[in-house]
Amino acid sequence: MKTQSITRALGIAFLTAIVATACTKKSNDIKVGVYGPFTGGSAPMGVSMRNGVQLAVDEINAGGGVLGKKIVMVDRDDEAKNERGGQIMQELLDKEEVVAVLGPINTGVANASTNYPNKKKVPQIINVSAGAKVNDYFKEVQDNYIFRIAANDPIQAKSVVAEMMKRGYKKPALLCDDTNFGQSGRHNLELALEAVSIKPVYIGKFKIKDTDMTAQLQEAKAAKADVMLVWGIGPELAAVSNSMDRIGWNVDRIGSWTLAMSNYIVNAGKNGNGTTMPQTFIELSASSPRQQKFVADYRKKYNENPMQSAVSAAQGYDSMYLLKMAIEQAGSTEGPKVKAALEDLQQAYDGVTGSYTKPFSTTDHEAVKEANVRMGMIKDGAVVEATAVKK
Amino acid sequence: MIYALIAFGYNLTFSTSKTINFSLGNILMLGGVVGFSLYVDKASGALLGIPFIVPIIGVLVAGVVTGAAVHKFAVEPSLKLKSEYTWVLATLAVGIIIKNAVEQIWDTGDFRFPSPLGDDPLRIAGVGIYPAEILVVIVALLIVVGVELFKRKTVFGKAIQAVSEDKETASLMGIPQQFVIQLSFMMSATIATVAGLLVAPLTFVSASMGTALGIKAYAVGIIGGLESGWGLLFGGLLLGIMEGLTAKYISSGYKEMPGFLLLIIIILIKPTGLFGKKTIKKV
Repeated sequence: MKTQSITRALGIAFLTAIVATACTKKSNDIKVGVYGPFTGGSAPMGVSMRNGVQLAVDEINAGGGVLGKKIVMVDRDDEAKNERGGQIMQELLDKEEVVAVLGPINTGVANASTNYPNKKKVPQIINVSAGAKVNDYFKEVQDNYIFRIAANDPIQAKSVVAEMMKRGYKKPALLCDDTNFGQSGRHNLELALEAVSIKPVYIGKFKIKDTDMTAQLQEAKAAKADVMLVWGIGPELAAVSNSMDRIGWNVDRIGSWTLAMSNYIVNAGKNGNGTTMPQTFIELSASSPRQQKFVADYRKKYNENPMQSAVSAAQGYDSMYLLKMAIEQAGSTEGPKVKAALEDLQQAYDGVTGSYTKPFSTTDHEAVKEANVRMGMIKDGAVVEATAVKK
Repeated sequence: MIYALIAFGYNLTFSTSKTINFSLGNILMLGGVVGFSLYVDKASGALLGIPFIVPIIGVLVAGVVTGAAVHKFAVEPSLKLKSEYTWVLATLAVGIIIKNAVEQIWDTGDFRFPSPLGDDPLRIAGVGIYPAEILVVIVALLIVVGVELFKRKTVFGKAIQAVSEDKETASLMGIPQQFVIQLSFMMSATIATVAGLLVAPLTFVSASMGTALGIKAYAVGIIGGLESGWGLLFGGLLLGIMEGLTAKYISSGYKEMPGFLLLIIIILIKPTGLFGKKTIKKV
């Protein structure tokens, strides 16, 4: 019994010590919350995004930090589960008291969590999720603290449809997963197709973890589709490509930017060749010195070649720098001031995903416009510029 | 077919000890993961250049070891407890432990397993069939026939049957009852790991690959009758065909529904399964 109480006392002392250090740390550091899926099918995006942010944080801290303070990243795995998103966000805001939040990846997770920062007046820059509500919040709340640096679904859908028109296809079949992300993609694809007065000949869906898509594909084939427009995440999109090979049907596939994820490229293997998708950053065509330095540093630090999800890494990196510039300009880490600074950034930012001059305004919180988006294509296990290869 | 194979694993332990190893789905996953780790480089998806016999042996060993372990740590203690159904929870718990361990130690992602027979589908009348799918059918049939023969023709097999008829009498006749039950667990787990290696090239390898399969195989067991090897084969085929037809003609979102509807109907009408024999349980 005695030993037990000693252990208990030691345990309590240890915990108090931890809490004490945590409290003293708070005043010296600027805490930035980062959340995303670090496990599961969306993990390549989540991990790459976190790595991108970490790279930026390390660079900023090495250069003296922000306002004389060091930036500390507080990262949480949301497992791509919507309900985890809400829990994590409340933990980040109320317990960790972060000054800003970066992330997440999944549309459902974002929509389940982004109302908290708005209530708490803490700015959040969504750096991957394409379907999450951003500008829509202007209709609901007076002060919108949600920003985005990623090509949103409407922009991506327009690019996908534009690419389809460029190749002269008239009978698209849509195949999207049944998550918030996939269905938002389907909705936006339909809108974009309507704008060019084309009706899809087939609309299908599939579930996360499905590995056999032959039933849906045979329907699409029977409907005489001449192109497949797909929306989902890596493993299931790979299953689509593999199932197409299985039924011996080979039409072009154009779809969401997630077709550039490593788990699509590896799992689809040779069946992935020729898949085309909108991208904000293509690792292999990094041209500016900034992009090249980013790619070299990332590969060195995380020992990855190619990156698991180059777009997520680049957007994560850029989101951290935009935040840093806003905090510096505001001269404070108070939410309302940082938000005002983000909406009126004085300096231009030459980032990895593009050059941004006044990326946000009081009425528009989307940094990525159609001009920032280029088309990428899978070729022998890598993403290359779509224009660089002839069909 | 793969459903039938796992259901056959349920059948083996059920016939000797009247227990079902509910962790079989996750043992199947373990087979897929072990085979994958011995054969493919996880990061690049390229082959390690190891002959396919190594993963086969690895998977067999994994099956025997986990089967013995499940019996030793989950089933034997609960049978001793005299509590009727502790083993249900115990084996379910083992399944969850295996899954979480794989997620922690290995990975949570999905990976492609390149088939040693090639990934190009054979074209038969315009329909693509993977060589690995044909292999599943062949191996499943071989295992079912092999085990049935083993049960009928060999001493060990007869011991298994004797234990499944009447445990007490079998012990009195000098049959080591515990050992026979243990053997049946090892065989059933090995069948599951082999099944894992067989399905791996057809689906992706991931920590969650066995969960749905394990549940569906249990449904097959109920539909076909847990006591009957051939009933399980039939039930497995029936469930697979129903899923395929539903996905094609109704919607892929509903493809799992008819199988489970059938399950409920069978439980209501003929609880011993389509091919099951009526047994009278003495109280």
